[in-house]
Amino acid sequence: MKLGKRQAAALLALAALPAQAQAQSAREIRQRTLVIGVPAGPANLEPGTNRAEPIGSEIILNVFDTLVAWSPPAFSQLEGRLAAAWTVSADGRVFDFTLRPNVKFHDGTSCDAAAVKFSLERTKSINPFMRASFDPIESITVTGPLMLRITLKETMPVFLSLLAQPQAAIVSPTAARLHGDAFSVNPVGTGPFRFRSYRPDTDVVLEANPDYFRGAPQLARILYRVIPDASTRRLELESGGLDIVHQSGQLAAIPTQDVRALRANPQIEVIEVPSQIIRQLEFNNSRGDSPVADIRVRRAILAAIDYDGLIEGIFGGTAERVYGPLTSNNWAFDPRMRDLAPKHDPALARRLLAEAGVQPGQLKLTLYSFQGPLWGAVATFVQANLAAVGIEAQVAQTEFPALRALHVAGRHEVMLDGRQPWYNDPDAHITIGYLSTLADTAMTFRMPKDDALDALITRAQTNVDFEQRRQLYHQVQAQIMERAPAAFLFSPKLIVFRRRGVQGLVVNSAPPLNEYWGVSKS
Amino acid sequence: MGRYVLQRLAALAPVLLLVLVIVFSLSRLIPGDPATTLLGPGATETQIAALRAQLRLDEPAHWQLLAYLGGVLQGDLGRSLKTGAPVLNEILLRLPATLELTIAATLVAVVIGVPVGVLSAVGPNSALDHAVRLVSLAGVSMPAFLLAVLLQLVFGIHLGLLPISGRSSPFFLDDPITGFMVLDGLISGDLELAGDALRHLLLPTAVLAAFLAATLARFVRNAMLDVMTEDYVRTARSKGLPERAVVFVHALRNALLPAVTILGLKFAELLGGAILTETVFAWPGVGRYMFDAISNRDYPVVQGATLVFALLFMLVSLGVDLMHGVLDPRVRRRMG
Repeated sequence: MKLGKRQAAALLALAALPAQAQAQSAREIRQRTLVIGVPAGPANLEPGTNRAEPIGSEIILNVFDTLVAWSPPAFSQLEGRLAAAWTVSADGRVFDFTLRPNVKFHDGTSCDAAAVKFSLERTKSINPFMRASFDPIESITVTGPLMLRITLKETMPVFLSLLAQPQAAIVSPTAARLHGDAFSVNPVGTGPFRFRSYRPDTDVVLEANPDYFRGAPQLARILYRVIPDASTRRLELESGGLDIVHQSGQLAAIPTQDVRALRANPQIEVIEVPSQIIRQLEFNNSRGDSPVADIRVRRAILAAIDYDGLIEGIFGGTAERVYGPLTSNNWAFDPRMRDLAPKHDPALARRLLAEAGVQPGQLKLTLYSFQGPLWGAVATFVQANLAAVGIEAQVAQTEFPALRALHVAGRHEVMLDGRQPWYNDPDAHITIGYLSTLADTAMTFRMPKDDALDALITRAQTNVDFEQRRQLYHQVQAQIMERAPAAFLFSPKLIVFRRRGVQGLVVNSAPPLNEYWGVSKS
Repeated sequence: MGRYVLQRLAALAPVLLLVLVIVFSLSRLIPGDPATTLLGPGATETQIAALRAQLRLDEPAHWQLLAYLGGVLQGDLGRSLKTGAPVLNEILLRLPATLELTIAATLVAVVIGVPVGVLSAVGPNSALDHAVRLVSLAGVSMPAFLLAVLLQLVFGIHLGLLPISGRSSPFFLDDPITGFMVLDGLISGDLELAGDALRHLLLPTAVLAAFLAATLARFVRNAMLDVMTEDYVRTARSKGLPERAVVFVHALRNALLPAVTILGLKFAELLGGAILTETVFAWPGVGRYMFDAISNRDYPVVQGATLVFALLFMLVSLGVDLMHGVLDPRVRRRMG
């Protein structure tokens, strides 16, 4: 929203300076402003209403702080942010936090235990996206001015990962009460950047918080420019109108051929980081009358796909092979998956189909997919692979809401699908995807009732010992692979384009939201 | 004419009601619901159900319609499901951007299209006529998206003369007065802002004006060719009037009638937002807003924006009819 009075005040202040000083000040601000091109505007700008929409989520991580955060550059360990220290009880249900002293919100009020309690309870009550995640919270108790106890109803090792998410960021109670519903476009946090202005469909401007508790940022401002068209974003990047462009979503991504062209531009650096996104060709595993209900048919389809050809031919190296239910950069990834993963073997595929009594040309499938040219290319490639072994697949690209309705109703046989985990834990892929009791509740793999696998997944989810959890997830992965619920295809890399001169950017991958506190422009 | 205007204005309400019922029904027939779209692929049914309850999408459709109608009668077009912002405010926020672009494109189209069409008509089958017909054919055939990208490449990148996107440089502080940035710059005396806004306006205006001017030139040419063969034109010539007076005073006035109609229709269409142009140039108008709302199944925005467009379309249509009355005394007499 516009801040006319503040602008007027700023203008008046500037008017008092000599003209030359004003020009120098404006020039300096411009030089120290990081301009980021995004495909869409944020839905809103505060944790209480954030539903994991990427632009708003990234802005939140720069305006607010969470209790804990993933530590750069590896983002594999949690570090305290507003929390200086914490302990977890032996049964994994009680979390005691000690907050950092002297941390202030942008409105000057103190960030203390009462503020944290207010913030988390507020998000739990008003954010339907977080309701399920925060439902296990039994109580939040202020045990001292800077001490907080969160008690869960059940053991939940992933809880700390959830507290690192934008939806768990801590808001100023004073500002939230003052602005009411309008707080969603007047955010006040403790973060390295303060909210300055928001023009819908145009831009969001953040300005440096010089009193930030980790030290003032080197940038003066961050300017998110809303540019929906990928070609226009590329042109602006090349001409210097933007400093950074990153892929916030597959459908709005700069095409692969543009990636190659930008790599050749000496003014632009392409940062590629492995993600934890998984894209797969999945089967409707709960439909007993489906032609893919026979595991030999499923294994035949797995053998028919040219995985390396897909990654090189469609993605030109901007994606990596996925070998199983977790990406290879996940801490719970089982290296044995590389051997267990299917290989491209059309002869094996034909043999398996013959064993299953399927003649060439007999099996006809509808291959559903998301819309967009990238998904179209993947679907067409898979269609060709299947045709080579005698399976006819008709591609049906579908708008997401209709696709989801189809999926949840279980009316498909095969579908190109995928998931981007919105918190950094194997649970984000495994539980939602493969727990048979959740089969109809989301875009899952629709696993048939499987008490043994469900029990293993639940044990892995709730074990408080890190190494034991890892071993349990190894077992989960092996058992999932035995059941062949999908052909795991690729994990697209997170690609960030930045102009030379932008320094200190470390790209976060799970979720793919960047923090700009340590970034500078030369 | 006053009674005619009142009659037309009175007809607005039933037409708008019909439009609302149609768009309300159609939007709910499209597969997929807003909660699904808003929460994305990773959402569980529990999360979706909670959001549907929060947005009152789980209420029966007829109750939703009645509640919405009740709001409309009080000037409330509801709140965006995506942002929670009042729909009317969001539309009014974006309408100046669309109006600025539409008015600029229309003015340019008229300034270019009408004279070119006239010149082409007064010298049929001349070199100029052939050139005009060729260029105008290219103008109406060229996809807006392609022309937009070409102009960006030529004027924005290779020549570096004009900005590629946006309404103004992002570093300008902007405290809108009217929402028309060029005008606001002039009113506030900030000539740098006015100039910057004008430079940003040029390329998207050129894209829209190209099609409009080409269409207008063709219409004016054809209408002029018809009119120039009329008896009164021959009479005017035989009276010894200068050719300029024959063409511009007698012929053009009558040839403008169909041109005014087509111009009005195109103007009203553009008010609905030139989606492709707005997307390529990152122009924050109502077209993009509406397109995003449809993709997001943001029902209140789709309904509210459609109502506003329908109202604007009918008002422009009324304006076109009144203009006919100005140009043609026979029409004026029929209006009463």
